Amino acid sequence: MSDEKQGEKIICPTCGAENLPGTLFCTECGIYLPSGGPLRTEPLPEEQESVTSRRWVQEAAMHTNHLVGVTIEVLQSGRRVPLALDEGKEIFIGRLDAVHGIFPELDLTNDGGLEHGVSRRHARIYAKNGVCYLEDMDSTNGTFLGDERLTPYLPYELHDGDIITLGTMRLRLRLHRRPA
Amino acid sequence: MRATIDPQKDYYSILGVDAEADAEEIKTAFRALAKRYHPDSEEGDAEKFRQVQEAYDVLRDPARRLAYERQREAMGLTHTVPFRIDGWVSASTLPVLDSEQLLYVMAEISPRHHREAGKQPLNLALVIDRSTSMRGTRMENVKLAIHEFIDALKPEDRLAIVAFSDRAEVIVPSVLGTEKRRLHAAVSRLVPSGGTEIYQGLVAGLEEVRRYIGGRYISHVILMTDGRTYGDEELALFEARRAASRGIGISALGIGEDWNDAFLDALAQAGHGLSQYISAPSQLQQLLQAHLRGLSSVVVRDLDLAIKLAEGVQLRSIYRVRPHIGSLPRPEGTPIRLGHLGDEPVAVLMELIVPPGPPMGEHRVVRLEAEGLAGESMQRVRVRHDVMVTFTTGDVPPQEVPARLLTTLARLSVYRLQEKAWTMLEEGDSRQATVLLQSAATRLFDLGQRELARVAMLEADRVAQEGMPSSRGRKQLRYGTRSLTISPNGPDDSRS
Repeated sequence: MSDEKQGEKIICPTCGAENLPGTLFCTECGIYLPSGGPLRTEPLPEEQESVTSRRWVQEAAMHTNHLVGVTIEVLQSGRRVPLALDEGKEIFIGRLDAVHGIFPELDLTNDGGLEHGVSRRHARIYAKNGVCYLEDMDSTNGTFLGDERLTPYLPYELHDGDIITLGTMRLRLRLHRRPA
Repeated sequence: MRATIDPQKDYYSILGVDAEADAEEIKTAFRALAKRYHPDSEEGDAEKFRQVQEAYDVLRDPARRLAYERQREAMGLTHTVPFRIDGWVSASTLPVLDSEQLLYVMAEISPRHHREAGKQPLNLALVIDRSTSMRGTRMENVKLAIHEFIDALKPEDRLAIVAFSDRAEVIVPSVLGTEKRRLHAAVSRLVPSGGTEIYQGLVAGLEEVRRYIGGRYISHVILMTDGRTYGDEELALFEARRAASRGIGISALGIGEDWNDAFLDALAQAGHGLSQYISAPSQLQQLLQAHLRGLSSVVVRDLDLAIKLAEGVQLRSIYRVRPHIGSLPRPEGTPIRLGHLGDEPVAVLMELIVPPGPPMGEHRVVRLEAEGLAGESMQRVRVRHDVMVTFTTGDVPPQEVPARLLTTLARLSVYRLQEKAWTMLEEGDSRQATVLLQSAATRLFDLGQRELARVAMLEADRVAQEGMPSSRGRKQLRYGTRSLTISPNGPDDSRS
């Protein structure tokens, strides 16, 4: 049939073995074929650490506009996820794992979370006194606000348009407010 | 329209269908039975005919079928199937290619919590190696573990204890769990001496269990040995298969480093049981307790998985991946026996080869049917799962492989690599075996399994230099990679 695509064998970049199209792990050497390298959420190679001043909040700023929600844009896939965020509500970000009862509000599995080093329980966003905070949940590959790596469990204030990085996955945050 | 819904009647049994039957099956069953029992036909039976009609009237109408089931549930007569199948595919949309392509399918069978679970009494035999090599702390640890095992028995369970060295001795014939004192005393008296004749021990243990086989008993023999048997391995395997066909399970626990892992694996595989490597004495206690709990909480017995491939699709391989990784015997065309289903789900991972030029559109690539006996009444229950894939000549949208499938496959991959290494070694190709072990080491590092990776490296070196691995290293690798599944402590936890 002329509509059929050419089925090409996958040549393993490490050992040269031929694998059928669709093979995920080389039958000769076991390497993960789609990325040609490791498959894990173990610590990724250390990137240059830029030491910037910490931005953690010493006092809560009162906003006259209520925070009602946040839209998270996953830069890798372009997916936009609007989420409600009232006072006292939390948004967990990570990867779903039903076996261990981990159900984050923002599940990055289908955006390539595993390959980008996103932990199942990676970070959380919450609102307090009208301020939006980001916290790293002691993730394997860290959470970054701009260039700064977050200290686990310390709240960092978030602003509209901030770009946060989970492992190597980048997300842009838009905060939505309405007048009090 | 008749209004009779009698929850006391088992309409499914009357029609000879299972509780998951769809409209098609119900109609077919009704037609066959109506024809058979019609008063005008040879086997005509007005009463039976009326029953069949009543059953059909209720089951054919979704609303009435639901009402019927609800009524039965309220009366505790529910037919709810106590397990389910979940499936994952590596890609739900595939291109139409002019060549073969690979598709991975993972199927997990998990218990649904059911009131009747865990009430089935056990009919067990412990077959213990008491050869000279067991002398000292080894035997002490075994005794300790068995004392704890005895304490955990329920009054309605049965246990026999067989000790073997050159000969087998039934030190306690099958007695009820109420006779704990007798069991404890016999175990305390064990003194190691003599050789290792596993066949003798196994046969004696099977004999004891056979006496009470049947009914609701879960019959199982647990063999513990630290050594090798000579010349009687084939005989032992034959006995194991024979017993398994009569519903007796067999598990084999190897203590220390000198036992034959290929043999114990084969025994356990024949008996649909566990085979385990006990490297540290403390493990034995934990393991026996867990094993006992597992046997006591059987939800479905004799779970079989039938794999019905679509035309042209081939099954390249299938492995068990949960609760641990292992190969599965696959006698041609018959269902795969997975053993009993307890609290822990059972899962398998398959490699399917899709033929060139599949038809466009959504098609079933494989139908999975899991069947077993459930509950106190030992009712035959069946669950079906169809794996569907869409084939397209257009662009295939980007899809992520389900994380669960991917991580399980990564671990299965490593297990297969090292198994292949041992096979190569047996065939005399130590060079290839070395390469495979080195690859396994790298992959283990990737998975964060540093300890196992080190073992793999050491064995790779040994094989390269001496042409043989160490007994301990080989066992560590085989059993270590086998238990690399998602455990309760997280995917990379090697404690399990």
